[in-house]
Amino acid sequence: MTTRPTVALIGAIVVTMGIVELLRRRTRHADGWRRFFAHPAAAWGLRILVFFTIAALAAPLLAPFDPNAQPGIVTLQNTAPSWTHPLGTDLYSSDIWSRLVYGGRVSLGIGLLATLVAMTVGVTVGAIAGYTRGWIDGVLMRLVDVGLAVPRIFMLLLAVAYWDRIPLLTLILLLGLTGWFTTSRLVRAEALSIRARPFVDAARALGASPIRIVARHVLPAAAAPIIVSAVLSVGNVMLLEAGLSFLGFGVQPPTPSWGTMVADGQGQLALAPWTSFFPGLTIAIVVMSWNAVGDALRDAFDPRPEQM
Amino acid sequence: MNFRVSLLALSTLPLALGCSSRGSCRGDFCGTVVFVTANNPKTLLPPVIDNTGARDIDEQLFLRLADPDMTTNVVGDANFVPRLATRWEWDDPKTLVFHLNPKARWHDGVPVTANDVAFSFDAYRDPVVNFSARNSLTRIASVTVRDSLTAVFRFKERYPTAFYDATYQMWILPQHLLAQVPRTDWLTATYGQHPIGDGPYRFASWTPGQTIELTADSTYFEGRPHLRRLIWKLVASPAQAVNAMVTNQGDALDFLGPPANVEQVKKTPGLSAIPYPGSNYIYLEMNERANGDSSKPHPVFADREVRRALTMALDRQGMLTSTFGPYAKVPMGPIPQWWSIWDTTVRTIPFDSADAARTLTAHGWRMGADGIRVKDSVRLSFEVIFTSTSALRMQYARLMQAQWKTVGVELQIQPLDQNLVQERLRSGKFDAALQGFNSDPTPASGIVQHWTQGAPEHFSHWVNADFDRLVSDATAGDVTKAKAQADWHAALNIINADAPGIWLAAPDNVAAVSSRIADVKLRPDSYWALAWTWRIPADRLIDRDR
Amino acid sequence: MGGRGAWLIRRIIAAAAIVFAVVSITFVAIHLAPGSPFLPPSDRPADPAMIDRLNHQWGLDQPIPTQYVRYLRNLSHGDMGYAFSRGQWVKDALASTIPSTLLLAGTALALDLGLGVILGLILAARARRATDIVLSNFTLFIYSVPAFWLGLVLVFVFADWLHWFPSGFTTTPGLYESMPFLSQLGDRLHHLAMPALTLGLVGAAGTARYQRAALLETLGREFVRTARAKGVRERRVLLVHALRNSLLPLITIAGLSLPFLLTGSVLIESVFSWPGMGRLATDAVLARDHALVSGIAIVASTMVVTGSLLADLLYSTADPRIREHA
Repeated sequence: MTTRPTVALIGAIVVTMGIVELLRRRTRHADGWRRFFAHPAAAWGLRILVFFTIAALAAPLLAPFDPNAQPGIVTLQNTAPSWTHPLGTDLYSSDIWSRLVYGGRVSLGIGLLATLVAMTVGVTVGAIAGYTRGWIDGVLMRLVDVGLAVPRIFMLLLAVAYWDRIPLLTLILLLGLTGWFTTSRLVRAEALSIRARPFVDAARALGASPIRIVARHVLPAAAAPIIVSAVLSVGNVMLLEAGLSFLGFGVQPPTPSWGTMVADGQGQLALAPWTSFFPGLTIAIVVMSWNAVGDALRDAFDPRPEQM
Repeated sequence: MNFRVSLLALSTLPLALGCSSRGSCRGDFCGTVVFVTANNPKTLLPPVIDNTGARDIDEQLFLRLADPDMTTNVVGDANFVPRLATRWEWDDPKTLVFHLNPKARWHDGVPVTANDVAFSFDAYRDPVVNFSARNSLTRIASVTVRDSLTAVFRFKERYPTAFYDATYQMWILPQHLLAQVPRTDWLTATYGQHPIGDGPYRFASWTPGQTIELTADSTYFEGRPHLRRLIWKLVASPAQAVNAMVTNQGDALDFLGPPANVEQVKKTPGLSAIPYPGSNYIYLEMNERANGDSSKPHPVFADREVRRALTMALDRQGMLTSTFGPYAKVPMGPIPQWWSIWDTTVRTIPFDSADAARTLTAHGWRMGADGIRVKDSVRLSFEVIFTSTSALRMQYARLMQAQWKTVGVELQIQPLDQNLVQERLRSGKFDAALQGFNSDPTPASGIVQHWTQGAPEHFSHWVNADFDRLVSDATAGDVTKAKAQADWHAALNIINADAPGIWLAAPDNVAAVSSRIADVKLRPDSYWALAWTWRIPADRLIDRDR
Repeated sequence: MGGRGAWLIRRIIAAAAIVFAVVSITFVAIHLAPGSPFLPPSDRPADPAMIDRLNHQWGLDQPIPTQYVRYLRNLSHGDMGYAFSRGQWVKDALASTIPSTLLLAGTALALDLGLGVILGLILAARARRATDIVLSNFTLFIYSVPAFWLGLVLVFVFADWLHWFPSGFTTTPGLYESMPFLSQLGDRLHHLAMPALTLGLVGAAGTARYQRAALLETLGREFVRTARAKGVRERRVLLVHALRNSLLPLITIAGLSLPFLLTGSVLIESVFSWPGMGRLATDAVLARDHALVSGIAIVASTMVVTGSLLADLLYSTADPRIREHA
């Protein structure tokens, strides 16, 4: 690799370690954070996530090549990892490291945005259902039951069948709209329990609007499970997106995503295994990081007996 | 203690299972060949089949009057091998008389007669049946029955490939089984799922989406086939087809594709990589009418110069080497390597992206802010459709996308199910299509069917009267070989100049066949056609052969 | 029986209602789909007269509520419409592929629970020691790996390189039919091994993580401390007392694994050329065959709902406390 991307890579690593170290120092007196950092996997997970986020944001700096460029379709295809191409090149002679870095934008971006959509819808529906109770609650929860009954991928496949080529935004919306059901149940539970408390009736008598009550009391109480649920959901969405892209239904060429990269390399596992291996490994490591961080957060918020 | 004993006992079970089953077949008439294919047939009724998988199977189930021999010279009748017809003669230059083999039987025992031949001709020509090569039968005036074993073909004119037209397109169909089936229902008829033919193999079973099995007809009149069973096994993708071959789950794969696969097969003991003259070619067809509205011209493709510029912007040789390695050539028109009209002196469009860019700009396509050219607020952007099961076409699409991007052209890639591609082509709802064509031995049917005005497989709406005239001259009655060659040369020059399509690759085909099979001959026009003459020597039988 | 019976009936009605809702939603989904389901299955030009005739014959030109009622009636006879991409009725296409998926999912589930419980035990027994830390991280890794990628890697290593296992299909083509019964069984297992293992491993990782947590929680509880105080051996404490208590939720896990298994099958079946519902779904989407995709969605949801109902049933049989809460 040339100088600038190498320097940028080192820089990214340094910044990552710095950020996590800083976080650790600043929070070492807080109980929850201490419990969090007591998991070595969580600390590493955090580092990996921060690194890939920086990589995604600074992709143009880190990627030595244009991810979609095909500089030598005859001479440079399927070359093994080397100094110029640290992770090798793929079937189309594109640099895999560059595609990986830019692909991180797509994969991580889809994961985060879809989770945002899912959480927003889930929190809203759950809060409404739990707070208003009555028939609205009934209808909404039956909707949740239906949503949970259909395996997510079949819902996605049915929706995807309506488009020839799915626009990225639509894909994000679809992923989000198929993943809010469990969160809504969580929030509903919190809303129900808060609603039942006497101070709520008092507040309502004083004229406080339901939205205010939900915002000031329900949401903070539900914050912990929502955050944990969100963190774990990102990993899930990334796996789903990778699967859909692998089948050819998700992200469309030439946009790189880690799933499409695995699909590209499928035909030459024997000849050039690195083309599928690295993107697949990256997905695994990043999803693993989300899961590790999510687990540790769960412990941090709500320690379980064996931790004490 | 008891637990350990039973564990020991259980562990011997695999040994017992591993002992191969001793089948009952010995000698010269055993053998099972598994053909691996990603082409899923939907029906096996010959006039309505729609893919090469079905064609390969029908090749063993049904008979033509005569087949081409290995030279595949289809001019005249000297290079044809008797099949259903044991001999033939010309009463006059426009009347051809076939004498059927009296020993020919349908697999239900009924003898094959000239009535079947007449019935078949009527069916193949029927617009309701909509046989895809119907046009090639237009010069046959009639087929009549002189007696139960004699069929008479009368032609409207004398022309060199008359015998070919009379025999090649039509597998003879059983009148006694199909006459009562309404022609409108032939597409979904149950006969297509359980065909009864007269060929060397009988239909045995069909598991939809998985396998089709044929067994040898031991009473077949040309001699009992040596291979007892032929099985077609369906895979999800060509990559898995190669996998299946390499792991000994398949015995024959007709098209290996990328050089990586060829290398892998060469390294596998027990498999032979057999190259044979390529009979197919890949091209991009461009729709000159608007996508979905044939009354309007296409904003991009209606302009001949733009089509030429688009062709010029592509490094066809580079793409070809990247995809096929040394196993293909860039064709100079819609022709495969094995056609005699393959002519390297034809004027083709060179690769010159600078010139292409200049031409595009000169024709009003200015570079836009996002790197894509614009003209009258229309972006130079279009969509290419192709069959999703073809990794090869996907690869080409990606390569073309990147190359065109550098000159400001945006290609959107749309893989679709095979049926959907066909539907879009026929209804004109497409911009461009990546097509492949597996050719007949003669250019006449292929080129006439695909590129002359009004032809059934012509979807681009390209019209050139000179081209049509030259093609019709080249295939006319008394044309000499020299004149035909000159006419084809001129026709190819025209079709290259007008560029209604971009001729991408004419692959050398490399097939993978298990080395234990002897007498393997691959006929260039239909690779597995001679499978009924293959055999597996008794000393090379493996488990599944018995 | 009283309370339990009433609880059961309520659950069944709820399950039926969910399936009904899914059916209705997919009906709407099919009707929003562009294109006629009677487009000819192959490359024949569409004959407008024929399409009109078929539309009239199948009542597609009638008002939607009438169609809805008829759709429901057809459904009760198992008629889910025509899959124009397959040239078959949706019902037949499903009938030929569901058994394969069930076989794959069932085996994967068995591996999932079996391996998962054992692994969870090991992790809990060696909690916080070196074995636990290494294995826990490995388990986390497997849990996070994309199943299709794992499948590709396993195929490459075990099929292409080592030739220990076949790379796909359900049986050895050409040979299976002539094998004696035991060998047939062996052949099927041989082909089932890799796809089921791929699916099962990922599930097992999840189960193991859950089991470890559940076991550790149980081990911290009163009755276990009592057992220890009474001098019961550690292994017996673990296996008999702790395990038994943590096994109960496994039933729920098994029931809830169905969505994961069906999802996984869509991807794994593609990698291994396994002729199941997942492959069918993928092909149906490529062909924009909405009737077929809807049919698959209905069947999949019915399986999920039934699975969770069965799980609830078993759970309530095993745990009396649930029954009382009904």
